[in-house]
Amino acid sequence: MSQRDVKQRIDSVKNIRKITSAMQMVAAARLRRAEQRIAALRPYAGAIRRMTRQAAEAAGGEVAGNPLLAQRESESNVAIVLVTADRGLAGAFNSQIIRAGLRAAEDLRAEGKQARFYATGRRGVSSLVFRKLEPVGQYVGFTERPAYANAREIAEDLMAAYVDGQVDRVEILYNGYISPLTQEVRREVLLPLQRATIDEAIAQAATEPSHPGHEHHALVDYEPEPGVILQRLIPDYVEISVYRALLESSASELGARMTAMRSATDNASEVIEDLTLEMNRARQAEITQEIMEVVAGAESLV
Amino acid sequence: MARATFQVEILTPEGEVFNEQVEMLSTRTAVGSIGVLANHTPLLGLLEPTELRLYRSESEIVRFAQGEGYIQVGENRALVLVEEAIAPQDLDEQDLREKLRVAEADVASAEEGSEAQRRAIRDRRRWQAFLEVSGSSGG
Repeated sequence: MSQRDVKQRIDSVKNIRKITSAMQMVAAARLRRAEQRIAALRPYAGAIRRMTRQAAEAAGGEVAGNPLLAQRESESNVAIVLVTADRGLAGAFNSQIIRAGLRAAEDLRAEGKQARFYATGRRGVSSLVFRKLEPVGQYVGFTERPAYANAREIAEDLMAAYVDGQVDRVEILYNGYISPLTQEVRREVLLPLQRATIDEAIAQAATEPSHPGHEHHALVDYEPEPGVILQRLIPDYVEISVYRALLESSASELGARMTAMRSATDNASEVIEDLTLEMNRARQAEITQEIMEVVAGAESLV
Repeated sequence: MARATFQVEILTPEGEVFNEQVEMLSTRTAVGSIGVLANHTPLLGLLEPTELRLYRSESEIVRFAQGEGYIQVGENRALVLVEEAIAPQDLDEQDLREKLRVAEADVASAEEGSEAQRRAIRDRRRWQAFLEVSGSSGG
């Protein structure tokens, strides 16, 4: 390579480094906000638990009869929800979810069951479409910043499919957020909702600080009766689970992108260093060549 | 004369949107419209989508488009726990109209008596209520 070619390559790698380092910083800033959104959900989830406890106590503790809690005898149709990102450039973030989802579907097929895919994020949707596994539900355009309304839409689709008998079980696969550097693939059963989930929520609420009006429930007015309120609280647990999965996935996506962009930036720096060495060597060779030519010319005159 | 006040906290899954002393709160439960004043009797209610109004005073009113949720009143405090509480100026009327159109189509196309239809009816009611809030803000 000539000196000029090397110089051009150095300039282009420097441009790439500028882009990857900007993307790294953007991902880091958004990751902080994504972590704040995870924290912002906690007080709401806690308040839902306390209201469940109050309504359950007033209603005589009975949550049975809700169709979301009903376990099916044969689970021939299983919905698999893949939570991926709209964008790539995030390492193995998307591919590990898609791979886990395809494997889960194969396992189900081996048991004689049918998998129906639902996917969030353009990456998951397009991968499934490419494999001719068109997802029944497709949700895109929000993966970096999911709103509760997005989670509600997905959860309501799933709950309606479950109650109307199109699916007998619903599982969700997402990247759980551990730290900016670490994500883990999680697989959870969303439906049927486990009785234990509600019972644990009620038990946990008992240990949390009290809230207005709870001490005197004999005197509390209920609008409408507590049993109805309790039935309405149950689907909230499914919505909150979906929302939490979307939030964790968005934090994981940003963490993965930040890490991927940091190593791309580091790689670019290394390449620049190597190329600079190469350029210096080329320049040195050229100078040496010129000196030799001058010396040779001088010698021929002697 | 200024009326007695009480603390109102509005909490959504995306965080707290309001936490202040007010003279009155007005909203709608599954049973009907309610107004809550200071020292209200303890209450636990299901909230339906509507315009939530918080009266800092008779003339100063904070308004939100409020989604489904719960209200808990006691010890001179109120907790409003809702899926959404959106300031009227943040509502996108065109987007709401589109959502309402989809919900109406879903109500019509879903099987009679199915969960899918009940869900579409809930969506329709929510977007209608939000559109009314958006319309009454003049924006």
